[in-house]
Amino acid sequence: MDPVVRATQLEKKYGRLTAVDRISFEVRPGETFGLLGPNGAGKTTTMRMMACISPPTSGDLTVLGMDVRRQSRAIRDALGVVAQHDGLDPDLSARDNLIVHARYYGLRGSVAGARADEVLEFFGLTARSRDEVDNLSGGLKRRLSIARAFMHRPRMVILDEPTTGLDPQSRNRVWEQLANLKQEGVTIAMSTHYMEEAASLCDRLVVIDHGRILAEGTPDALVREIAGAQTAMLKVEGPERARVVRALAERGYQAHGRGMLLAVHGRDGDRPQVEGLGVAHVIYRPSTLEDAFLALTGRELRDE
Amino acid sequence: MALAVIGKTADFRPANVIGVWLRHFTAFKRGYLIETTAIVVEPVFILLAVGFGVGQLVGQLADVSYAEFVAPGIVVGNAMWHALFECSWGAYRRMQIHKIYESLLTAPVNMRELAGGEIAWGATRAVMTTVAVLAVAAALGLIGSPMGLGVILVGALTGLMFGSLGLVFASVAPTTHSLTLVFTLVGTPLFFFSGAFFPISSLPSYLQPVAWAMPLTPAVQAARGFATGSVGVQEVLALAYLAGLTLLFYPLATYLLRRRLIA
Ligand SMILES: Nc1ncnc2c1ncn2[C@@H]1O[C@H](COP(=O)(O)OP(=O)(O)OP(=O)(O)O)[C@@H](O)[C@H]1O
Ligand SMILES: [Mg+2]
Repeated sequence: MDPVVRATQLEKKYGRLTAVDRISFEVRPGETFGLLGPNGAGKTTTMRMMACISPPTSGDLTVLGMDVRRQSRAIRDALGVVAQHDGLDPDLSARDNLIVHARYYGLRGSVAGARADEVLEFFGLTARSRDEVDNLSGGLKRRLSIARAFMHRPRMVILDEPTTGLDPQSRNRVWEQLANLKQEGVTIAMSTHYMEEAASLCDRLVVIDHGRILAEGTPDALVREIAGAQTAMLKVEGPERARVVRALAERGYQAHGRGMLLAVHGRDGDRPQVEGLGVAHVIYRPSTLEDAFLALTGRELRDE
Repeated sequence: MALAVIGKTADFRPANVIGVWLRHFTAFKRGYLIETTAIVVEPVFILLAVGFGVGQLVGQLADVSYAEFVAPGIVVGNAMWHALFECSWGAYRRMQIHKIYESLLTAPVNMRELAGGEIAWGATRAVMTTVAVLAVAAALGLIGSPMGLGVILVGALTGLMFGSLGLVFASVAPTTHSLTLVFTLVGTPLFFFSGAFFPISSLPSYLQPVAWAMPLTPAVQAARGFATGSVGVQEVLALAYLAGLTLLFYPLATYLLRRRLIA
């Protein structure tokens, strides 16, 4: 089957700043596709281009087989979009936010009303449906903006950090809804900073940083490839640390972490060889997506 | 090229203009008491204060009382205020402060439809205030002719024109603060120098062409024509002028909004 999204040498510049640097990737029909990357990596920019609200500077991008430059309207007809910022309408009630938006997709009258009630119910917003948006908590607003994107039963949804700021209950509810959509064959493209979310929800991931793709694959494959099957946690005291790090480097391992604990990832899907370094306390644990992510993107804070 | 993403395509969905309009109408209904007060009470105060208060001092003009002279101008002047306010400050607030255009444009809505809905709503508010104040003026006996109903048409065209102009301002304003200039530099001078309160012929001769070029002037002239029942070529030309300016400002606003919002 043809991919639902195909980006080829996709580039986006803001003046001299290159936010997305000639990336190529595909999203396949029915899959849940995840975009990972530190702050400022280019996730939002990429998703905005997919949602046809920001034109690419160069390269090609097709969504649902259509060109974002020439068939933006037909693409938007079939998409549901949740932006990083809620963009809810403060002059309308929660329920009217859904109904007003759904109208642009041809949903109106009692059909729109019934659908709004259904969607509100699912997101646990029924009791707040008449409330002003400003009176909703941050998490409720987020749920409402996701609910809005589901009103017209889109063929594909684009969600930019859908669960940021949600409590564990709401997050689980969103995951549940996303899983339902996936069951119905809806393609999902999302970004997230929650590694657990990416690992459990996404079929395939792309890790980007500075507008470039660093790695891609299934969550399991990414972890094994980059952080091995297991990660060793070494407890080393201050003066010892430099020696151990050097010894590890001689074996070709990079040590991560600050303080007393050093994390050493395995290679080629294996566990790291850290015996014989004179470290008394070694614990092995399964490597996680977070290990892989940090190994790929480094530990420096991003101020963009 | 870059601007082609949203809305340069030939297709135009009138249903989306209605959709945007309905969004405004839904919001309006939520706050209708406050809104209605703004639409009716303030212009009626002006009408009473200027028409009768100042009218006492001015006395009779050529063939009408001063109150009859100012009433049509106050009606369309308010139509201007409402359309201008809604489409400049209101639109700016929706666009830049609440970012609702951004989520709106993820739906299959083009910029031309969005701008059309904004302007249509600005014009609707202009018509609301026109009807309300016209009714009060008529009840006070200030509208001499049944053709005065035509003032509603003038109010609608005034609303469309100043709605489009307001949207042009909203799309280029760097800050909310800068928009206050629209009122001090555009709204207020137009309101007072467009022949609503005194005949343009009483201005110094070098200012008269300026007053005639101001876009509210033809609206005031046409409204007065309808109110007094003397509608001729001049009134028709005035309406055509308003329509013509709308056809200029509406695409301009669409273009400027695309430039601002589609980065
Ligand atoms: N409209 C804009 N004008 C100028 N620069 C922009 C604009 N939007 C984004 N950028 C820049 O492009 C780069 C990528 O930003 P983007 O928002 O895509 O990152 P992100 O991966 O979504 O980050 P985050 O995790 O913080 O949401 C950043 O350097 C950002 O400052
Ligand atoms: Mg982002």
